Amino acid sequence: MKKTKYLITCSVLLAVSITLDSCSKSFLEKPLLGALTEPVLANEKGVTAILIGAYAALDGQNVGGGTWESSPTNWIYGSVAAGDAHKGSDAGDQPPINLIATGQSNPSNGFFNAKWRANYEGINRCNNVLIVAEQATDISAETKTTLIAEARFLRGHYYFDLKKMFNMVPWIDETTTDMKTPNNVDIWPNIEADFKFAYENLGGTAPAVGRVNKWAAGAYLAKTLVYQKKFSDAIPVFTDVINNGTNSKGDKYGLPDRFEDNFDPAQKNNKETVFAVQMVANAGTGDISSGNAGEMLNFPYGDSPFGCCGFYQPTFDLVDSYRTDANGLPYLDTYNSEVVKSDQGIESDAAFTPYTGALDPRLDWTAGRRGIPYKDWGNHPGKKWIRDQNFSGPYAPKKNVYWQATQDTYSDRISWAPGSAINIHIIRFADVLLLAAEAEAQAGSLTTAMDYVNRVRERAGKKESAVYTYVDNSAPLKGFTTTPAANYNVKTYPTGSPVFASKESALKAIYFERKLELAMEGHRYFDLARWGIAATEINKFYAFEKQFTSDILQGNFTSGRNEYFPIPQAQVDLSTKNGEITLTQNPGYQ
Amino acid sequence: MHFTRLACRAMPVLCLLFSFLFSQAQNQTVTGKVFNDADRKPIPGVTVTVKGTKTATVTNEDGSFTLRGLDPGAVLQFTSVGFQSIEVAASRADMVSMKSSESIMSELVVVGYTSQKKRDITGAVSVVDVEQMNKQPAPTVTDKLQGQVSGVTITTSGSPGEPPRFRIRGFNSLTGSNDPLFVVDGVPTTSITDINPNDIATMQILKDAGAASIYGSRASNGVVILTTRRGKGKTRISYDGFYGTQQPKINNPYHMLSPIDQANLKWMALKNTADLAGIPVAYSDALYGSGSSPVLPDYILPVGKMEGDPAVNPSLYYVNPNYTDQADYAKFYRITKANKAGTDWMSEIFNPAPIQSHNISASGGSEQGSYLFSMNYFNQQGVLSNTYNKRYTLRSNSQYNFNKNIRIGENLAYSIIDNPRITILDEGNAVSMAYRQQPIIPVYDIMGNYAGTFGPTGLGQATNPVAARQRTANNKGLGNRLFGNVFGEVDFLKHFTFRTSFGGEYFSFRGNWFDYPTYENQENGSTNAYNENSGSGFNWTWTNTVTYTQSFGEHNIKLLAGTEAYNERGNMLQVKNTDYFSFDPDYTSMITGAGNPTVNTDGTDKWSASLYSLIARLDYNFAGKYLIGATIRRDGSSKFAPANKYGVFPAFSAAWRLSDEQFLKGLSWLNDLKLRGSWGIMGNQLGLAANNQFTTFASGRSSSFYDVNGTSNSLILGFQQGRYGNPNAKWEAQKSSNIGFDATLWNRALEISADYYVKSVSDMLYPVTLPGTAGAADVPYVNVAKMRTAGLDLSLGSHFDVNKDLGFDITATVTTFKNKIQYIADGNTYFEDQGRRFNSGGIIRNMVGESMSSFYGYKIVGFWNSQAEIDAANEVARKATNNPDAVYQTDAAVGRFRYDDKGAGIVTADSRQILGSPNPDFAYGLNLGGQWKDLDFSFTFYGVSGAQVWNQVRWWTDFYPSFAGGKSQTALYDSWRPDHMNAKAPIQENAGSFSTNGAPNSYYVENGSYLRLRNMQIGYSFNGEWTKKLGISRFRAYVQGVNLFTITKYSGMDPEIGGGDANSFGVDEGAYPVVKQFLLGINLSF
Repeated sequence: MKKTKYLITCSVLLAVSITLDSCSKSFLEKPLLGALTEPVLANEKGVTAILIGAYAALDGQNVGGGTWESSPTNWIYGSVAAGDAHKGSDAGDQPPINLIATGQSNPSNGFFNAKWRANYEGINRCNNVLIVAEQATDISAETKTTLIAEARFLRGHYYFDLKKMFNMVPWIDETTTDMKTPNNVDIWPNIEADFKFAYENLGGTAPAVGRVNKWAAGAYLAKTLVYQKKFSDAIPVFTDVINNGTNSKGDKYGLPDRFEDNFDPAQKNNKETVFAVQMVANAGTGDISSGNAGEMLNFPYGDSPFGCCGFYQPTFDLVDSYRTDANGLPYLDTYNSEVVKSDQGIESDAAFTPYTGALDPRLDWTAGRRGIPYKDWGNHPGKKWIRDQNFSGPYAPKKNVYWQATQDTYSDRISWAPGSAINIHIIRFADVLLLAAEAEAQAGSLTTAMDYVNRVRERAGKKESAVYTYVDNSAPLKGFTTTPAANYNVKTYPTGSPVFASKESALKAIYFERKLELAMEGHRYFDLARWGIAATEINKFYAFEKQFTSDILQGNFTSGRNEYFPIPQAQVDLSTKNGEITLTQNPGYQ
Repeated sequence: MHFTRLACRAMPVLCLLFSFLFSQAQNQTVTGKVFNDADRKPIPGVTVTVKGTKTATVTNEDGSFTLRGLDPGAVLQFTSVGFQSIEVAASRADMVSMKSSESIMSELVVVGYTSQKKRDITGAVSVVDVEQMNKQPAPTVTDKLQGQVSGVTITTSGSPGEPPRFRIRGFNSLTGSNDPLFVVDGVPTTSITDINPNDIATMQILKDAGAASIYGSRASNGVVILTTRRGKGKTRISYDGFYGTQQPKINNPYHMLSPIDQANLKWMALKNTADLAGIPVAYSDALYGSGSSPVLPDYILPVGKMEGDPAVNPSLYYVNPNYTDQADYAKFYRITKANKAGTDWMSEIFNPAPIQSHNISASGGSEQGSYLFSMNYFNQQGVLSNTYNKRYTLRSNSQYNFNKNIRIGENLAYSIIDNPRITILDEGNAVSMAYRQQPIIPVYDIMGNYAGTFGPTGLGQATNPVAARQRTANNKGLGNRLFGNVFGEVDFLKHFTFRTSFGGEYFSFRGNWFDYPTYENQENGSTNAYNENSGSGFNWTWTNTVTYTQSFGEHNIKLLAGTEAYNERGNMLQVKNTDYFSFDPDYTSMITGAGNPTVNTDGTDKWSASLYSLIARLDYNFAGKYLIGATIRRDGSSKFAPANKYGVFPAFSAAWRLSDEQFLKGLSWLNDLKLRGSWGIMGNQLGLAANNQFTTFASGRSSSFYDVNGTSNSLILGFQQGRYGNPNAKWEAQKSSNIGFDATLWNRALEISADYYVKSVSDMLYPVTLPGTAGAADVPYVNVAKMRTAGLDLSLGSHFDVNKDLGFDITATVTTFKNKIQYIADGNTYFEDQGRRFNSGGIIRNMVGESMSSFYGYKIVGFWNSQAEIDAANEVARKATNNPDAVYQTDAAVGRFRYDDKGAGIVTADSRQILGSPNPDFAYGLNLGGQWKDLDFSFTFYGVSGAQVWNQVRWWTDFYPSFAGGKSQTALYDSWRPDHMNAKAPIQENAGSFSTNGAPNSYYVENGSYLRLRNMQIGYSFNGEWTKKLGISRFRAYVQGVNLFTITKYSGMDPEIGGGDANSFGVDEGAYPVVKQFLLGINLSF
């Protein structure tokens, strides 16, 4: 009897086990948690969200790169490497930048890998828009074209950024299945095709101000043509953009009277905005990765109200460039013959009178210097805001700095260094005008070229674009007087100016104007490289700047090598396919 | 009596009370029963003698005996042929177990899903001496095992509650977990940090496939099997406790400079830099003036002021430490005196701290069943302020025997842990800040607010470590876990036993912490934020097995078959709010902040996974001489796609007891000799993400949202590719072979157990780094990598009695293994980790042909002692490269490091090489125990040999340009100078360079070998009349010293660097050091 009972019990339990086994198939099916698969997104709403994701990669943050390594401003590669700015801080901080700043970039420098990865993640997101859009059935042809054109625009941008940095890079698009594609084909035609498609298929007013339109695509297309020296192809596109273009809101392109509007978050997306990365503050992310994290190091140090970190200090060479002559024109060749007086080596509590010579007011929106209003934060106090003057000079960056009066809205202090809602311009209208001037000058239309340059200079000379002294130095928030903070004198080139009498001279003036207008905005290195004067200019810079600071003592630009940065070694290694490396290293870096 | 038994069943606590009363009323007649400890069968014919008298009797057929007319507190001696003699207090002699004189070899040992006699084990299994192990006062079982078992390497940390690095036979996974599987009372789990060590009855470590493979997909890192204690015999109440103090190393353990020497070093660096550039030196410093010798100021804020200066008038002072807006902060006027004598930051944050443990247990058992109830309170205060580990555990184990054939029971433990810890291995932790913060800075300013690096003073960017620690004082966190199982066993049809066990855990945790705004540091955070996290989850395992045991003559068979199902689910959430009106911890909560609550992505997750397995096992032996074991398991996992869900893991093992063979029988000195061999396959899926099979789209507020409307303060949802899926991923296969022997010689005067093994992991799941062109989505695990580990485990034991009063127990263990990565993936010949401040890849490289976590960088071959040396080297470089501009080494200069070019004539990225490895050549443990009359003593030594440590602390302290923080005496007194070329550190300069601190090089690699006296304990057992009168069966008191000395050449605080991952460990950047402890403890039983 007892035995039977056990047998029954055991049989039941065994049966349960066996049942469990047969159920195990479904028992072992666990759903995907916290993510979606492609079919769920194959509709208009989904594709739009993937496109938003493609825009979100513009800030270079959380996309496989680094924080400042993949900043969309290219402040390290475009400005520090070109002599606009020193790395700043002190010698031991972020040492890979020291090497980039002195022309000693090597393939294993992790910064390049970060930059590479961030751009290709952007490209991957664009490709996903194109892939998923093809699967969606609920999108109208028109909307679909817009989504695709925007995605191709963004892809063009990411590739443009790679192209100017690394030159030969592999082309990955929505049809690519082998990610180990060689870099043996010049991708300019592909970039051009993407912008052309966007230019031809996008409307003048975008669905949202942060999205791109036809004119942004036109401007980028023309810029792409200029980079390829296809000046005559570029001119009609520039002309179209300059004459008919509007920003995404539909406002006709132009230059606001106040130069600073470009960097004041309260004035973002104005008529000068062609293509900008939208930045936010305090938007509930718990970090500053959507708010200029790439620039977080670039604030005054010491007892400044910003806390961190004293990077990105304008150079003596750059500051001298803003000297103007009696006619309010720049010294194209001899700008360094006189050094703008600085407080280098002077303690903050020792007396100091700023330079009294004539200057272009754009200087004081570009470089913070002792005794001049640092936006509405008070007069720059000099050495006590600088981490190590001997290492990288007495100046502070300014374009990326938010205003005290509006800091609660536009600055984000959740992280150890500030974030801000200042948009990053990839292309602004002044840039378009100067590129157009360059194309016109190359094509021999020197008058048109000068007109374009003068539009830029005219704005610089407007009273709204000058910096004024404070009503009360001890209470900068009380506002400004009408007394200029320095001896400003900037004028347009007069009709018949000898500078625009020859192509060579005109180009020199245009190149110099780009330096002044777009300084510290990450353009100069790539400009110098495409102009073919990088070795001359940058070595000249090293020789000059060495007298003041110790950071670039080792500086040396090697012609034929340094025009491009090295393909990241990590990527070369990862390109191995069946034991063969598919990526070719750039010349001089092998 | 009947009532008592009932009470015992109902309420263990009542039971304690009654038993206590009854034990007081003991009469002078003793009736008892003697059992064989191994099989619980009665032993007839045992001689029972009353100690010190001639009174004696012999047990009858059912093992029982009766003795009358005994003195209270009499002691009985039990002797029998084939068994070890024992002594038991008469009051406790009702149920006496005797161990076979083959003793330990005949112990029943719990192995995979069943138990075996130790002598019949065919796989590589280490049986832990739990009593010996528990002599370490460490909080967790895993800490205590250091040096106790061969084949197991354990690296601990001084940080209370920090789980040690626990490796059984080295590495088995490149990127996933290398932690073993723990099986507690039959329930698999990944963590035993909350198990009360006093509750452990037995512990076995299954090291090879022959033993562990039955745990299939979770076995590849080895398996640790624990059983918890159960009641036996009469009610027994015990108290075990200790109290002690822990002594940190203080008094400038990093050999930092004094304030004036810091200034002298700055002057030296300025001079050296000017000399190198060939320009006259200009001394200038906001603090130290501009004279030819630096002068210390009276104040560091306002900068460099002297006493009497109007700027240091206290009436100007204004600091609001709890500021909430920038405008208030802008008004701060700080006044901080220079601490010319120097602040010893280590002493400021490290203090002696108490450690204590109290354990009470009650247990008992009879034929009807058994119970055990225990409570433990453990409290280790950290020597670093505001770190501690408090643990409360409750356990209730019981078993009821319905009748001869049916048993049911439960094992249940509940734990609560309160354990704030610091991250132990980074440059931002409190220990790092203590050497990075300059000594001229006082802890507090003139008004008692914190002082720090703030200001244009060039004092660096370290933070005040005292402030950082004190600001954590109100943080709270609790974790709790209910862990256990219920089981039933039925014996049927004579030879069968069915067992079912349903067990698992439910856990939850919750914590809150506040981020204060700071004002004293160079880089201050101005936001105030309150953070809260919580999570919970469960997992269960349901195991059903049927065992068949039979003997036919000399053939002994045990066959087991079963199923096991496992399911887990959990979630966690972390949120944060900002802008608090008041920072009062009683006020702050998630809703009282004025900011927008935000969800932390890293702290928020949900997960779910399952496993289903079929198990079979065969153990066969012939005459105990020829032994064979075979196991097979088929596992299915939810983490794999349907086509690859299942994996099969077979293993075979065999042993031959040579000592039972005729030709060896005659050797009287050879008690036992067994040869063992095994082969099998184990699996791994621990590192595998649950979503591995899916290609996904995901959204992240910080990564895929965008302010497409240009609002400046809001974001719109976007998607990004979340993961590349790999539906083809399958089980990885670790093939493991083992050969070994166990020998007992000269009646246990020598016991040897040795094993040699080879493990080859193929198809190892590795998250292959995709080329950047694939984007940044999470990469899938793919079956690609290969790794091989071979090693030797050796343990020696000796037990001998010098005479009746003096006996010794000695065990020694040696663990050694060599690990080699054989293949990673196409295009992935290495992967790096730990960039630290070099920012060029990593100082750790896991590369093909090398062992895990190897150090990588430039090898220093000396200093450049003259320009001529540099010129000569450059000449060689020019010839080697055919480039007239070539230089041998970037930034080469007199006084800097010269790097090895590996014969290339020029130093390039290819000149980097493996500089060492944190893996020791071998690790060893030595336990010496002894007894002399009532005095007992034990010593435990532990050592590792041939391991290196990457001492990253040196980057901060030995190079002037590595940020303006605290510097070492090496930097000032033992750096290269023209008159001191035989130096340790290079020339001190104002700026860093590739040839000094700018590149990872061998300057940081140090010998990390050490020998440590882990434990020393001396105890005395009181065996007087008075103990008997009080009904005390055991009363022992002891004194103990832990980590009393360490012999090492390592220059840092301690060479044992805990923490880190399997593929990146051994980097010391201010590790929480292991500390000295002095303890007093007692063991008391009634």
